[in-house]
Amino acid sequence: MIDFSMYDVKVPKILGYQCDQCGTKYYPAPMICSKCGHRRDPVTKRHWTTFELEGPCTLLTWTRVWNLPEGYNKKFLQFGIVQFENGLRASGRVEVDEPKTGLKLTASVEESDERPGKPVKIFVFK
Amino acid sequence: MAVRVGIVGIGHTRFGNSSEYDLADVLAYAATDALQDAGFLEHRKEVDQVFVANMASGLFCHQSAVASAMVSRLDMEPVPAELVENGPASGASAVKLGYMAVASGMADVVLVVGGEIMRKVSGWNATDIVSTMLDTDTEYAMGLTLPGFGGMFTRLYMEKYGLTERDLALLAVKNHDNGAKNKYAHIQATCTIDAIADGPEADVVNNYIAEPLRMYSTCPVSDGAAAVLLVNMDSPKAKRFAKRPVRVAGVASATDTHCVHNRADPLQLTAVRIAAEKAYKMAGLTPKDISFAELHDAFSILELAISEEVGFFDRGKSFLAVRKGETALGGRLPINTSGGLKSKGHPVGATGVSQVVELVRQLRGEAETGRQVKDPKYGMSVNFGGFGNNVVAVICAKD
Repeated sequence: MIDFSMYDVKVPKILGYQCDQCGTKYYPAPMICSKCGHRRDPVTKRHWTTFELEGPCTLLTWTRVWNLPEGYNKKFLQFGIVQFENGLRASGRVEVDEPKTGLKLTASVEESDERPGKPVKIFVFK
Repeated sequence: MAVRVGIVGIGHTRFGNSSEYDLADVLAYAATDALQDAGFLEHRKEVDQVFVANMASGLFCHQSAVASAMVSRLDMEPVPAELVENGPASGASAVKLGYMAVASGMADVVLVVGGEIMRKVSGWNATDIVSTMLDTDTEYAMGLTLPGFGGMFTRLYMEKYGLTERDLALLAVKNHDNGAKNKYAHIQATCTIDAIADGPEADVVNNYIAEPLRMYSTCPVSDGAAAVLLVNMDSPKAKRFAKRPVRVAGVASATDTHCVHNRADPLQLTAVRIAAEKAYKMAGLTPKDISFAELHDAFSILELAISEEVGFFDRGKSFLAVRKGETALGGRLPINTSGGLKSKGHPVGATGVSQVVELVRQLRGEAETGRQVKDPKYGMSVNFGGFGNNVVAVICAKD
């Protein structure tokens, strides 16, 4: 993991999307709002609002994976699905010693350079 | 009246490690078996269409355009050939497209071949390649894998319905019992409940892969291919084949959210339910009519969850039926008579075709001694793509 506190660089963010026409929130962004049919233009980004997806969340389920893919030089990693207070859900890393379904956690975003290629943004639930 | 589509030829390589062979050869081997089985090998240039199912030859073997390669290997030019890719459901998708080609009147004879060589790369690399079917930014980038989703799904099921790790081990024992008798299975060996669940060494023998899923609740990484020859049963050509057709009574597919976290109830496999309902409707059948089934147990939990979604059991009750032996050979509804993905193996592009081959073997009465279902009439297969985001159900009938 890269410690961004050491550098004067932009902190990584993962964005949620809100349809300006009906207010429905999404993660990830759809091309068309499933509630009102409003279209999203990924180029102009008009008529859809973005917001940072992080903060308090509840752990819905989790696992500890022991057969990690190539690139992860760790014995195991824990993953989970959480639900945010706004109702959106996300998958990501769980970094608590004893995960339990229903646990209240806080989601933050980090950058991972574990796999080859450009670093990617990941959710970390602590 | 709609055209009746039947299967007159089947072929299958032994699943396992074929990494020293070329993918086109492995596909062509199964295809040759199917053409020979149908008595149509010498007439192979009269096949109207070839569909080759494969998930990721570009990544596993650094090889593309495998449909062209296979047709050439079989000396079948100029027969039209296309590749079908639908993740681990590529095989049954190709069967579905073959059915559609015949039913539409565009073709009378269609060869469908599914295959994958996964073991040319390391196990870690194979896990990574299979994971590319997940949502790129919200799942794959996080480091998630298919076993990871299998583990999270299993935990939800356990917490809601009281399933135990021992119940999952019972499924492994059942499927290895079946696979041990299947000449095409990757792992032709039995296992005991003592070795993988009850005994003092069980924790070591049956270690965790993605908690609470253990090794014996997870399919192996396999190579192999399977093939079927589909024909228009109402065409004069139908009389030219050596084998009596097994009718494809129903075939249907459905999709669900690509991101697993976006499902309203993550324990519901909606695409499985819809695909099965459509297949039943097409066949004019209900779950009670099915004699046996091949269900996509890439993780043992999926055999349970799929068996509930297709209507064989009430929600949360399937593992109770497994405890009573209802899904074993000789039980009320045998499931995964081939050994399933757990024992037979799971070359991702081959699996959907392989499941249909098993339906045909059972309906013809050609399964090995000790593995044959008694007088089956209807067999059903469910081929599960992604983590349930693209699913194909097939029902075959012995008329």
